Amino acid sequence: MATMRAPPRKGENFELSADLNSEYRDKRKDAIKRVIANMTVQKDVSGLFPDVLKNMQTDDLEQKKLVYLYLMNYAKTQPELVILAVNTFVKDTDDPNPLVRALAIRTMGCLRAEKIIDYLCDPLQKCLRDENPYVRKTAALCVAKLYDLKPELVIENGFLETLQEMIADSNPMVVANTVAALTDIHEAAIANGSATDIFIVSNTVLNKLLIALNECSEWGRVAILNALARYETQDERESEHICERVVPQFQHANASVVLAAVKVIMIHLRGVRSENLIKQMIRKMAPPLVTLLSNPPEVQWVALRDINLLLQKRPDILSSEMRVFFCKYNDPLYVKVEKLDIMVRLASENNVDALLSELKEYASEVDVDFVRRSIKAIGQAAIKIDEAAERCVNVLLELINTRVSYVVQEAVVVMKDIFRKYPSTYEGVIPTLCANLDELDEPEAKASLIWIIGEYANKIDNADELLGIFVDTFTEESYPVQLQTLTAVVKLYLRKPDSSQGLVQRVLNTATKDCDSPDVRDRAYIYWRLLSTDPGAAKSVVQAHRPAITLPRTTVAPALLEELIGEISTLASVYHKPAETFVGRGRIGADALPRKGTDLEDDQSTARKAFQTVAAGQQAENLLNFDDPTDTQQPSGLAATQVLAATPAAANLLSGNSSNPLDDLVSIFGNTGMGSTPSQPPGGGLSAGFGGLSFGGAPVSPVPPATPSVLQASSPAPPQPPARQQTAEEDLLGLF
Amino acid sequence: MAIDGLIILDPFGHPIIQSGFRSSPPAYPLLHIDAFNAALEKSARGSIDPVLFVHSLEYDASSVCCHVKHGDLRFLCPVTGDVDPLYVFAFMKTFIDILSEYLGNISSETLKENFDVVYQLLEETLDAGGHPSTTFPNALRDIVLPPSMLHKMLSVAGVAALAAPIAHGQPFSSPIPWRKMGVRYNNNEIYFDIAETLKATVNKNGAASTTAVWGRVDSNCKLSGTPDLLLNLAGVQNLNDCSFHPCVRIQRWTRDKQLSFVPPDGRFTLMEYRYTSGSVQQIVIPLQIKANVKLEESSSMALSSTDFQALRSCSSLGTIDITLVSRLTTRSLDNVVAQLYLGESATGVNMVATNNSSWSFDSKTKTLSWHIKSAPASSSFNLRGTVLSQKYLRPSRAFRVTFDINQHNFSALKVEQLKMTGELYKPFKGVRGRSVGDVEWRW
Repeated sequence: MATMRAPPRKGENFELSADLNSEYRDKRKDAIKRVIANMTVQKDVSGLFPDVLKNMQTDDLEQKKLVYLYLMNYAKTQPELVILAVNTFVKDTDDPNPLVRALAIRTMGCLRAEKIIDYLCDPLQKCLRDENPYVRKTAALCVAKLYDLKPELVIENGFLETLQEMIADSNPMVVANTVAALTDIHEAAIANGSATDIFIVSNTVLNKLLIALNECSEWGRVAILNALARYETQDERESEHICERVVPQFQHANASVVLAAVKVIMIHLRGVRSENLIKQMIRKMAPPLVTLLSNPPEVQWVALRDINLLLQKRPDILSSEMRVFFCKYNDPLYVKVEKLDIMVRLASENNVDALLSELKEYASEVDVDFVRRSIKAIGQAAIKIDEAAERCVNVLLELINTRVSYVVQEAVVVMKDIFRKYPSTYEGVIPTLCANLDELDEPEAKASLIWIIGEYANKIDNADELLGIFVDTFTEESYPVQLQTLTAVVKLYLRKPDSSQGLVQRVLNTATKDCDSPDVRDRAYIYWRLLSTDPGAAKSVVQAHRPAITLPRTTVAPALLEELIGEISTLASVYHKPAETFVGRGRIGADALPRKGTDLEDDQSTARKAFQTVAAGQQAENLLNFDDPTDTQQPSGLAATQVLAATPAAANLLSGNSSNPLDDLVSIFGNTGMGSTPSQPPGGGLSAGFGGLSFGGAPVSPVPPATPSVLQASSPAPPQPPARQQTAEEDLLGLF
Repeated sequence: MAIDGLIILDPFGHPIIQSGFRSSPPAYPLLHIDAFNAALEKSARGSIDPVLFVHSLEYDASSVCCHVKHGDLRFLCPVTGDVDPLYVFAFMKTFIDILSEYLGNISSETLKENFDVVYQLLEETLDAGGHPSTTFPNALRDIVLPPSMLHKMLSVAGVAALAAPIAHGQPFSSPIPWRKMGVRYNNNEIYFDIAETLKATVNKNGAASTTAVWGRVDSNCKLSGTPDLLLNLAGVQNLNDCSFHPCVRIQRWTRDKQLSFVPPDGRFTLMEYRYTSGSVQQIVIPLQIKANVKLEESSSMALSSTDFQALRSCSSLGTIDITLVSRLTTRSLDNVVAQLYLGESATGVNMVATNNSSWSFDSKTKTLSWHIKSAPASSSFNLRGTVLSQKYLRPSRAFRVTFDINQHNFSALKVEQLKMTGELYKPFKGVRGRSVGDVEWRW
């Protein structure tokens, strides 16, 4: 009968309406469930609003919850209807059952309707002082929600003061939730540009937090630990005290509690001077970090990213635990990649044999990407540990002998880095490499082999023949290969002028006439001019001494590292980028604002220093020290910049090339990150930065008075560095 | 800290259940679902970064999506702001645990059937401001009733404590957040399960490259009142990296290596630990594998050069011969499964397995599995046969072997003594040991 009166499309709603008004309780409850079910599949049940509302007053808590759920859903779109329910809400906050009181206050906070908000304040006032901790805790969180909607109401009603008092609550659950609410409000206020600190973690607050820490739930512990991370200690004793009180959290089963505790300790260790205590803390940190690896791959990945960062700051944390990071063949690739990186970080003379046999194993796996990274890791180990270099080279030779195409190519790229680090040590390998010449089809591998041939042209009898192959196909090759071929042939010519006159003539001809890349053409012109004007100068430019490469101890700039360490267990530490570069809207890092100012200065000074380093070619020995705050050579660096900038040559150098890594360098240090491509692995951008730096390091020997002739021939000299830089950049890129 | 909400996707990538997202624009959850599905489609073999960056249409409003897989369902947590992803993953794990406790098996059917319970759980566990709130199962059962079927079953089974929620005084008035007040049982019993997992990688030469035992002590507590327990374990000195349920008094552990705690009611994990072979004791892998895998068209030829491509077109053949020997002398190994991924090109397998074992080949995952129901002490098994492949065969370089050992612990951890104070009755105690192995054996 009911269905006959209603239009067919409304049939279901009509039935529901009848059921909602049924005299039987079970039928009504069942109808509410069906309404919610329809609501969740996006069917419009707003027409039933008055019928559902009738069922709000009930003793059945479950039914009440479902009705509330319905109200919350429609509050945003139909606030005028929700007003009808306000009275029931307010009445419910006086209910004898604390669950009903808490439910009512929580729901009112979620409704987010302007009109409701005004009715919220009085009940909220009452609930904040409720005798039941569950109600108090719910009310505390409600204040944060209210602040989000109408901050002035929170301030007018003195809720902030109430919250501050509630930190002293006897129930740890209430304390934890109050801390969470205050933190939320604090962050929201900062995001809105408020200058005052709403939640100041004072000394008295600190003590209360430390007491509540051991007794509240895991989520509460995280909130409290985050608040502790913000505390600014007065003296060393206080820092020590915090560290000691937080250390037991390492044994919590919840991984996020463990990492939050690690963060607090890393921050407050800055204030500790006792070497003994620092050592002790670091030692205690290792076991919980290892335990994180027993988790599912998602958690492992996050943990590994954080461990990677921690190791950059404190390489000694896990020094004896390398085996834990060995990859399983069924680990997801994202986990394997992180593990490889950490294994190389932990590599030392003691464990390099185990590492190498493991890496060799990985190099025979199915996944091409992983195989390549494993081979790269072998090269990194060789560069990191001098004593093990020979063993690494032997492993690489074994891999080359497998003759699997991508293995050989990757190994050749890696060998080039080893040649750079240990010049004239492993020349015996060159014939094996050259034997695989035909198999190389990737530009990077080709370019690497050509670099090696050019570098050792005087020791390879048929170097001209080998390079001739590439000169023959010059125009078909990719630009990096063309550039390398060009440089290698010039090197060959400078070492064996008699036999390779024709070759160099040919390559310069092709490069200047038939090549469509301006870079290649320009470089060819420069070489040509250089060779015809002053072969001596050419020699000192092309065969200049190269700075030794080292494995970067950090993948991020030290200033950034320090900031990220303070944000361990956040997204920033997972992406290895400061939060500002990828997080928008509202809730940014807790103390982003006060820090931002100093950051900017840091960045600018970092950028300036980087420039100085680039221009002056200082510290060529260690590429990483470029923005070391303890750098004492800064004044001389600055002076050098100014002197250099005055000469037209240097001005060209600094402004001439738009595709120059210098730009990268500037932009990298200008905004401390690669904001535009946040999901890209952080190594890439920075390696470009290092590439740029080494270009600064390279010209150090040819430019200064050692060869004044170069400075006289000022037109060819300035653009020369790009050639060198290209090589250096490729070298270093190979490392990452 | 802001977890914006939770979305549960069915195997086809459609949302089954999602939380309110009341403080986000309506398109926000959709954006995340789309971003996740798009990433999943693009990735090979479903391996995508667990913390996905989601671009937003608005400038400055980017967010990330943390996701985990459970069965064939996906759980997504969109997150704004600089949040600890582990916090998010920990929440999702907790929520999944709670769901399985309430619903048993979690599937799109059970979720749809009990959506009202799931919604209530979501409301209780995740506050609208993004903070996880009540997640202790003991406290949750007070405020969200388990689905009626389960409810009835529990009351029939005589678990009185579960069947009568909110019967005793006010919820959340318990001074111990993980334990509820006024629990009563007719039979007071507590059980401990010491479960260990051996994870090891063995090199070609048979030497282990890594071995580690991850253990946990699970407990099922059915004790009345507020019992205060003191548990003495034998063999704790060999354990490293212990982590505990919040009920354990850590100071006491640090001082005397004893576990002193007031247990929650019902099932919980008391402690987790790691055990590595030290100088005194070595972890012995309880089985040995001799594998002889030959790939026809001898490897040097097939891989010799760039005409590798040409060879790919012709079919290829591989022979496998594995022998598995149990090294245990008194116990048997149960449910031994050895698996080998044969590579995408594998088309078929023809094997002969010795008695009491069987093999199967899953053509979807390209995995050869060899099952041995029970391997008695010092017994030996063999599997041999050929693999057919369209192209050159590239199997994975390691077998994955899993097995169970009952009544055995690698760490030799034992419950020595359990003392109870605070209550007058005498509880019944039970302890079980169980070990699982997960060994990667390279050939």
